Amino acid sequence: MEHKKKLFSKIYDKYIKKIYRFVFFKVNSQEIAEDLTSETFSRTWASFKEKSEEIENIQAFLYKTARNLVTDYYRQKGRSVVISANNPSVVDPRQNLEERSLLNSDIEHIKKSLFTLKEDYQDVILWYYLDDLPISEISELLGRTKEATRVLLHRALKALRNQIEEV
Amino acid sequence: MTQSQLIRKIKELKRVKPKKEWVLLTKKQILGQEATFELFSFFKPAYAGLFVLLLLAGLFQFSQGALPGEYLYYFKKIVEKGQIMFSSEEEKPRVNLELANKRLEELNLIAEKNEVKKLAKAMSEFQANVSQTAESLEKVKKIDKDIVAQTKKLAENKERVEEVLATKIETKDYDNALARLVEREILNLEKSSLTQEEEGLLEKVKQDFEQRNYSEALIKILDLSQK
Repeated sequence: MEHKKKLFSKIYDKYIKKIYRFVFFKVNSQEIAEDLTSETFSRTWASFKEKSEEIENIQAFLYKTARNLVTDYYRQKGRSVVISANNPSVVDPRQNLEERSLLNSDIEHIKKSLFTLKEDYQDVILWYYLDDLPISEISELLGRTKEATRVLLHRALKALRNQIEEV
Repeated sequence: MTQSQLIRKIKELKRVKPKKEWVLLTKKQILGQEATFELFSFFKPAYAGLFVLLLLAGLFQFSQGALPGEYLYYFKKIVEKGQIMFSSEEEKPRVNLELANKRLEELNLIAEKNEVKKLAKAMSEFQANVSQTAESLEKVKKIDKDIVAQTKKLAENKERVEEVLATKIETKDYDNALARLVEREILNLEKSSLTQEEEGLLEKVKQDFEQRNYSEALIKILDLSQK
């Protein structure tokens, strides 16, 4: 068990930021992102300690778990993923001045626009540009062919740009 | 906004990070205390003994510069007690002499720094050591160069401290023990057959004895015994 704990400790260190960011851009709330990320790692640890040999790709496992939790969250709360970018409720609630200044208006704009995109578009953009996952891994995560994933990425970028220009 | 500009802006979203405290706390909640910091994995029960040992070794090493009246001095004394305990009967006189010299060096340092409060404690530490040295001198079977060197050093150190403090330091027991040792050696040498030159040297030893220059007498005795 100690060995597994050590291994998972390294996994946690490696992926915590990525998973948090992945969830944060989907829920647009620090508090909810923290809750769902924490739950993602708790569930993954529960599976890892019982049957680590069955988990072939821990990164994929984490992303899938996080994705399912986000879906559950919206389902339970009866919230729609698509929220108008003008809706003041989607503004990042963080009051930290430093963080706010980091995310200047342009970035904030993109963040809001990204939040309004459909799930697959969000995922492919986050995985490819923020988490630097190769197309082959993204295609596995989405259950699509590499070609279909490339097309999806292209469409996602186009949709994001349209959204930015609309706002 | 061009495609590359857009991609650059997207990549800037990487700056969104969770709070450090939350990251640590969550890890602690999921994996338990012991796995929180890889850095502290050293603090496992298996290493606890080793850690305590290293800590003590460091403490004892660090305490070697401590002066009487200081907290770490206690650890310094423990180390010295161990030194005496683990030395053989033959080695004990030399070890005790070395420690008595250490006490004089401490006294000298305190006197030079004018740390009046530590003076009384340092003096009593020296007296304790020097009477222990006197006792062990009684057991010296054969004079060697280490003992001679240490007695000479003690005489010099004592003189220096007396000069700084402008007081005479009483070491009656030690002086008596040293006198008995020199006397015994003189008697032994008188029994043995000596050359004229050696006879002359023995005379000088006797003069030193008369003048209570015991450490000087011991140097000459060592010379004679090596001839």
